[in-house]
Amino acid sequence: MSALEIRDIHKRYGEVETLRGIDIALEGGEFLVLLGSSGCGKSTLLNIIAGLAEPSGGDVLIGERSILGLHPKDRDIAMVFQSYALYPNMSVARNIGFGLEMRKVPAAERERAVRDTARLLQIENLLDRKPSQLSGGQRQRVAIGRALVRDPQVFLFDEPLSNLDAKLRMEMRTELKRLHQMLKTTVVYVTHDQIEAMTLATRIAVMRDGRIEQLGTPEEIYDRPATLYVAGFVGSPPMNILDAEVVGNALRLVGSEETLPLPADFTSTAAAGRRVKVGIRPEALRLANTDTPGASVRAQVEVVELTGPELVTTAKLGEQTITACLPPRTRFGAGSQQLFSFDEAVLHLFDPESGRSLRPV
Amino acid sequence: MNRMNGPDGRKGPHPMPGTWITTRAWLLMLPLLVVMIAVIGWPLVDTVRLSFTDAKLVGTAGGFVALDNYAKLLGGASFQRALITTTWFAVVSVAAEMVLGVLAALLLNQQFRGRTALRALMILPWALPTVVNATLWRLIYNPEYGALNAALTQLGLIDSYRSWLGEPGSALTALIVADCWKNFPLVALIALAALQAVPRDITAAALVDGAGPFNRFRYVIMPYLAGPLLVALVLRTIEAFKVFDIIWVMTRGGPANSTRTLSILVYQEAFSFQRAGSGASLALIVTLLVTLLAVAYAALLRKAAGAS
Repeated sequence: MSALEIRDIHKRYGEVETLRGIDIALEGGEFLVLLGSSGCGKSTLLNIIAGLAEPSGGDVLIGERSILGLHPKDRDIAMVFQSYALYPNMSVARNIGFGLEMRKVPAAERERAVRDTARLLQIENLLDRKPSQLSGGQRQRVAIGRALVRDPQVFLFDEPLSNLDAKLRMEMRTELKRLHQMLKTTVVYVTHDQIEAMTLATRIAVMRDGRIEQLGTPEEIYDRPATLYVAGFVGSPPMNILDAEVVGNALRLVGSEETLPLPADFTSTAAAGRRVKVGIRPEALRLANTDTPGASVRAQVEVVELTGPELVTTAKLGEQTITACLPPRTRFGAGSQQLFSFDEAVLHLFDPESGRSLRPV
Repeated sequence: MNRMNGPDGRKGPHPMPGTWITTRAWLLMLPLLVVMIAVIGWPLVDTVRLSFTDAKLVGTAGGFVALDNYAKLLGGASFQRALITTTWFAVVSVAAEMVLGVLAALLLNQQFRGRTALRALMILPWALPTVVNATLWRLIYNPEYGALNAALTQLGLIDSYRSWLGEPGSALTALIVADCWKNFPLVALIALAALQAVPRDITAAALVDGAGPFNRFRYVIMPYLAGPLLVALVLRTIEAFKVFDIIWVMTRGGPANSTRTLSILVYQEAFSFQRAGSGASLALIVTLLVTLLAVAYAALLRKAAGAS
């Protein structure tokens, strides 16, 4: 039985179709991240689950029961908003307990639930304060507390960390993961941050133009991207995408003398003479010398940037550019020729027209 | 090195410029001060002087009568009745304007076709000059061909035409209705601006939290409305307390003095009966009452600002 099932959801605003058929089924306790750039429809989908927007077609089920047409309060969901959306005139305790208050939960029971939630989130000492007296991170905790206290079937998070600074965002990310591991509730989480998606999700739905580009575990999304879009969206710096042509058992890079081996996985789909896009992650490249076994390419280093944990190197491969993330202690200068090696298993091949992966299913 | 420290590094007050800055400030304010003393200060002082005399508007300068004017006025029936009429007018019309204004704002904050046009139309009554509005309503209330009589008889609510402004029992209510019609758009505009400042996420959160329409208004929207509405309340109460023009055009304080507010009484005392002395003392009493109102509201506003 699915905890949450989304069936062929469409949403149309006049001429514009923001969702074009979304299908997802979640088991209880799953953490689904809807990942995509702004305008891809991920927040609209979340609002449809919450009942803040109605779909033009399709159905949403929670625990086998259709919730379309139900008032948000009757859907057994709780939502955390990007802006926290705390009631400014109420204390932290009342903010957290407001949902219970509106559901006419007796005061004593309510107070106990608020206190338990506050303890869980380590904000017991803030219960009497007003939201204006809290820091961003504390407000976020209160907003999460307001969702937790109701113990709903499904939690909805709408970019909850994007208003926090980088350090706090990381802390809250870990905190959310800890909470999810402890409470094992079903979560739908919207973000445009691929690190949040990779770290939090049990499954990621990468969305683009109102469709799901790929739905899979973080490992699948990272290791076997289904399309060029997913390949470019997940990973930082993004995957190198090179134009190449299949020549025999090799891939000749366009505008360069260099060739890459054709991985065994793709021999059935990449016929000779075919144009392809080759993807290789910057972190899959290593600096090599001529004795290093395995595949390698020679490129001319253009820019070297030390970020601290790694050395981000941009190099020219003929007319094309390639980025490599190397260990920080590597020492070489811009302008030098370097040999970059990799395993042929890390190569991804895509169809240049459709953008779809050429990996056989 | 102290120069490098910036403003915080300064030790003690600067030695000289203080006095010069003060002098320059006074010099800059001087023209305005002269004007204000000429048009406000001196007339006020002269009004206070007049209020202690039995001066007529023309002719005699009058003699000093100490507090006689005040004693007669405060003990007299016409002042007391005018005070009650004014208070009733102010309380009822302002309360009705607030309720109507907020309701109209809630309606105009919804999404519907023609909303922009309706928003623009709503401002019309408020944009009309009071005299035009008053004349309009005098026509509506006209005992022989007024629209109100026609509407009510055709609906079968009254048997025969009535003189709404000519009967002491209905004149003040008729005035209050006219005043509300003119002034509720101001409240509605202020409330609408406040409603648009309520974050969408907050109302969405209240929906998810299960708050019904009334609870959403009471707990979530009202806190955003309270401050701006208080300002509207202050402005409208003070204005309603000073009301003159709409009444002067529609009833001149009649019938049987049933719509005679304090400002009308001041006018009659000073100009109709030409008693400059007691007119001045009455005007000062009204000024004092309005000032008290303003001070009370200022305190309220400060309290409200401190609370939020």
